[in-house]
Amino acid sequence: MKTLLIKCLVALGFFLSLYTLNVQTVMAHGEKALEPFIRMRTIQFYDVQWDKQKFNVNEDVSVSGKFHVAEDWPVSVPKPEASFLNISTPGPVLIRTERYLNGKPFMNSVALQPGGDYNFKIVLKGRLPGHYHIHPFFNLKDAGQVMGPGVWLDIAGNADDFTNEVKTINGELVDMETYGLSNGILWHVFWGVLATAWLLWWVRRPLFIARYRMLQAGMEDELVTPKDRLIGKAILIGVPVLVLAANAMTTNQYPNTIPLQASLDQILPLSAQVNAGVVDVETMKAEYRVPDRAMTFTLKIDNRSDKPIRIGEFTTANVHFLNKELQASYQKGGSESMTALEGLSLDNATPIQPGEQRTMTMTARDALWESEKLDGLIRDSDSRIGGLLFFYDDHLGERFISSITAAVIPKFN
Amino acid sequence: MSANISNRSFRPYTGEKARITRAYDYLILVLALFLFIGAFHLHFALTVGDWDFWVDWKDRQWWPLVTPLMGITFPAAVQAVMWEKFRLPMGATLCVTALLIGTWIARVFAYHYWNYFPINMVLPATMLPGALVLDAILMLSNSLTITAIFGGAAFALLFYPSNWPIIGLFHVPVEYGNGQLTIADLFGFEYIRTGMPEYLRIIERGTLRTYGQYATPLSAFCSALLCTLMYTLWWYIGKWFATVRYLNKI
Repeated sequence: MKTLLIKCLVALGFFLSLYTLNVQTVMAHGEKALEPFIRMRTIQFYDVQWDKQKFNVNEDVSVSGKFHVAEDWPVSVPKPEASFLNISTPGPVLIRTERYLNGKPFMNSVALQPGGDYNFKIVLKGRLPGHYHIHPFFNLKDAGQVMGPGVWLDIAGNADDFTNEVKTINGELVDMETYGLSNGILWHVFWGVLATAWLLWWVRRPLFIARYRMLQAGMEDELVTPKDRLIGKAILIGVPVLVLAANAMTTNQYPNTIPLQASLDQILPLSAQVNAGVVDVETMKAEYRVPDRAMTFTLKIDNRSDKPIRIGEFTTANVHFLNKELQASYQKGGSESMTALEGLSLDNATPIQPGEQRTMTMTARDALWESEKLDGLIRDSDSRIGGLLFFYDDHLGERFISSITAAVIPKFN
Repeated sequence: MSANISNRSFRPYTGEKARITRAYDYLILVLALFLFIGAFHLHFALTVGDWDFWVDWKDRQWWPLVTPLMGITFPAAVQAVMWEKFRLPMGATLCVTALLIGTWIARVFAYHYWNYFPINMVLPATMLPGALVLDAILMLSNSLTITAIFGGAAFALLFYPSNWPIIGLFHVPVEYGNGQLTIADLFGFEYIRTGMPEYLRIIERGTLRTYGQYATPLSAFCSALLCTLMYTLWWYIGKWFATVRYLNKI
């Protein structure tokens, strides 16, 4: 029986070890994990562009784009009073050197306003060579990470060449990669040596059984000798003196230090870019047909511009559904795999004339609803959809953006 | 302390018995070291956590309050056993040394080699000066009350000044993005932490700073008061869990 068990365990170990021969790098980092209603109705990214996707260590790369903060913010998600524009990376393979919101640099977290429009730019610098999948995204306090569109970046070169020098207010140039390291190690070693000496002082003598027996025999006085007491007194006086002396030395060496900075940046939204009052859209109804993977919207559109317009694109949670007749207007930014090139169809494709009010049906149909786990919306407690609708004038000269939102009615058959 | 063996009849072990008890000493010491490296490190990571992990969490208000308060726990419990049963005044130093061994291993291998953070961004704090003083006070006073009041207070009060030589230079200001940051803040901004947005930092909150902007001494004294209570609590936890029933059979 025992032999059989050992053979089984060895066989199991062999087969499990075969599995390790085919270990692959993780290609995603949970961007579909957040509930669909949060991904679709909080931060709505668009026009996100990287200036390059192949670069070297020490070379700058920037990502810029826009986002709309949904008006129909989910009731179960705290309002974005503290948000952090971040970059999803597998550790600091890049460093962030600059970050702008509406053209203003900001270092800390920021309060966003629902319904507000913002543009952003983040400048990064290559640190570790490799092939990485990177997203700009927002950490929303008490809600989670709402991802922007991801791309693959290739960083070439040698990690040892990376430098990151910063000038302090006093004009001193410091290398962030090594600054304060040897000093920190020195102090840890210093106290570590003293502590080790104290431990060895006791460990060199018989310890547990011998001391226990002596204590039981009432020989307590022999367990702590006068020399032990003398050393104890030296520690009692010497250690605080050393601590205070080292503290004073540091204060003298760095007289102009400041506390950690913890402010919340306040940056007002831009003038309206989405729902700018030129094209008004009201969503009358939204139905999701599960077998067709198709979301059908009934929209009431009021064109108050002086140009005929047509719907070119519907975007939600970084998935783009394009009207095949207007693909030329599409501003690429996200992954091709997140774009349904012919995913948008209209019951009436003729341009909406200036001053015209039209009620029409728009269908966004693609397997991306399922592969991006957006169809899970119909099983959410807050099963409302949100997204951005892009209109173009008939000559592709001007773009109007409206945010739409509606409760979703599932059709299972 | 009751004496089971009378002073007059006590004879120290010699020869083979002495060698075996010495081997037992080393066996227990090695096991204790690994136990404390693992257990105290886990306890510390779960309770102090980010305050000890990151240079941009080591503020003047919460860090000196939370760290000694959570850091005095294991030392108090181990001192209770080491002192009451063996008159060994090294429980605190042993615990904090074990903690630092575990912490340094994690910072170098997990944070630096595995997750690419520069080690200077994740330098641990030291509590060794406070631990040495705590051990010395226990040995000289042989009193739980005195050690809790004066040792617990010293453990907390020595924490910030003994770490300022390590972190002080990270508080030098830099002008960045039309504002001022410390170098520590700049580490947090530049070295990307996907799961650690800036707003998660629990630093510089509350109104302690209204006392003439001297937040650190107030935090340290508050921590000192709490440490005296925490020390006593964990002393009794250590005493409650410890047993010498196996030694009595020898």
